Amino acid sequence: MNSVEAAPEIFDRTLLARRRARAAPRVHEVAPILDAAAEILLDRLDDTTRRFTRALDLGGRGAVAPRLAARGIPFIVSMDLAAPMAARAGGMPLAADEEWLPFAPHSFDLIVASLSLHMVNDLPGALVQLRQALAPDGLFLASLPGLGTLQPLREALAAAESETRGGISPRVSPFPELRDLASLLQRAGFALPVADQDRLSLEWRHPMALVADLRAAGETNAIRARDPRTPPRALFPRAFAGLPLRHDAPLLVMTGWAPHDSQQKPARPGSATTRLADALGTTEHKAGDRAG
Amino acid sequence: MNQTPPPAGGAVDPQLLEILVCPVTKKPLRYDRDRGELISDAAGLAYPVRDGIPIMLPDQARKLP
Repeated sequence: MNSVEAAPEIFDRTLLARRRARAAPRVHEVAPILDAAAEILLDRLDDTTRRFTRALDLGGRGAVAPRLAARGIPFIVSMDLAAPMAARAGGMPLAADEEWLPFAPHSFDLIVASLSLHMVNDLPGALVQLRQALAPDGLFLASLPGLGTLQPLREALAAAESETRGGISPRVSPFPELRDLASLLQRAGFALPVADQDRLSLEWRHPMALVADLRAAGETNAIRARDPRTPPRALFPRAFAGLPLRHDAPLLVMTGWAPHDSQQKPARPGSATTRLADALGTTEHKAGDRAG
Repeated sequence: MNQTPPPAGGAVDPQLLEILVCPVTKKPLRYDRDRGELISDAAGLAYPVRDGIPIMLPDQARKLP
C-alpha cells in the first residue's frame, strides 16, 4: 500500500458507499439537479453521428440510464458504489468502485459519468481503467463539479467555524480545475481529449434545502480529514445566516475517445509533401537565418 | 417450463456476467449459482450477489480458504 505510486486518500470511500446507500430511497428529491446535469452532459451525444449499443452509466442515480435508453441504446449497465443506489439507477444494476473496475477490456462503446467522479481518490488510475473498458472508438463522457462549486457554502462554514471554534476543518470537498482534466484525459490514453466548462444554475428556498439535497444525493462530507466531533450548536445557524441561495456551479465536462485508426491524428513531423513557404508564397529561411 | 431453481442471491443478466472480471486481478470469474457468488480463483475472493446485484467490491468479498 505504501508504494510511491499510491494516490493520496482524500476521500473515505467506505463512508461514501454508506452515504450513497442511505441516500438511495430519497434520491428522487434531488432529481431536478441530477437531471439538469445529465441533460447538459448527454447533449454532447447529439454532437456525434456515432450510434452506441453498449453503455456504462457510472453513478447516474436515475438521471442517466433512462436518457440513454430513450436514445435507443439497448444494453445499459448502471454501476454505483452502493447497491441500493445502483438498483434505482435504471440500467442493469451493479455495485462496484471506480477505483476497482470489474469489466473485461472492450466491454462498452459508451461510458457516461455524470457528477460521479469527484470523490475518486485515484482519478488518473480510474480513467485508465475506464479507457480499457471501452472498445476502440468508444466514447467517454464525464462531468464533475469544478473549482468554485459550493464556494459560498465553503466560505460561510469556514467563517462560522473559525468564529465559534477558533479553527477550521474541511467541510466541503476540494474540486478540480478545468486545466487538470484535459491533461488527465491525455495521460490516461484517450484520443481527441476535450475538457470544457458549462454552468449548472442552482437555487434553493432555504439553506436547509441545500443540505437536504446534498444528503439525498449522497454528497455530504466524505473527506477523510473531516472533523469527527459534533459541530458546535451555533455553527450551522451562523453559517446559514446570509448564505446566498442562488449559485452557478461550474460544471466541467470531459470527453475522450478510446484510440482507433480511423480517428484524425497529427501528421508525423517531416511527412509533409509540400513546403509551407510555397503555400504561403514566401521565401524559406533556415532556422539559423534572420528573417527579412 | 424451466425446472432449474433460481440461483442464490437472485438472477443476474447473463449479458452482464459475460463482461464481469475480478476487479483486483482483472481475471475471469466463476459463477457459483448455488451460493450466489462470483469466484475469483486468482484473487482467492468470492464476490456476493444480493437481490440480483453483483457486489464487485473487494472489501465486501469473502476470502476463500
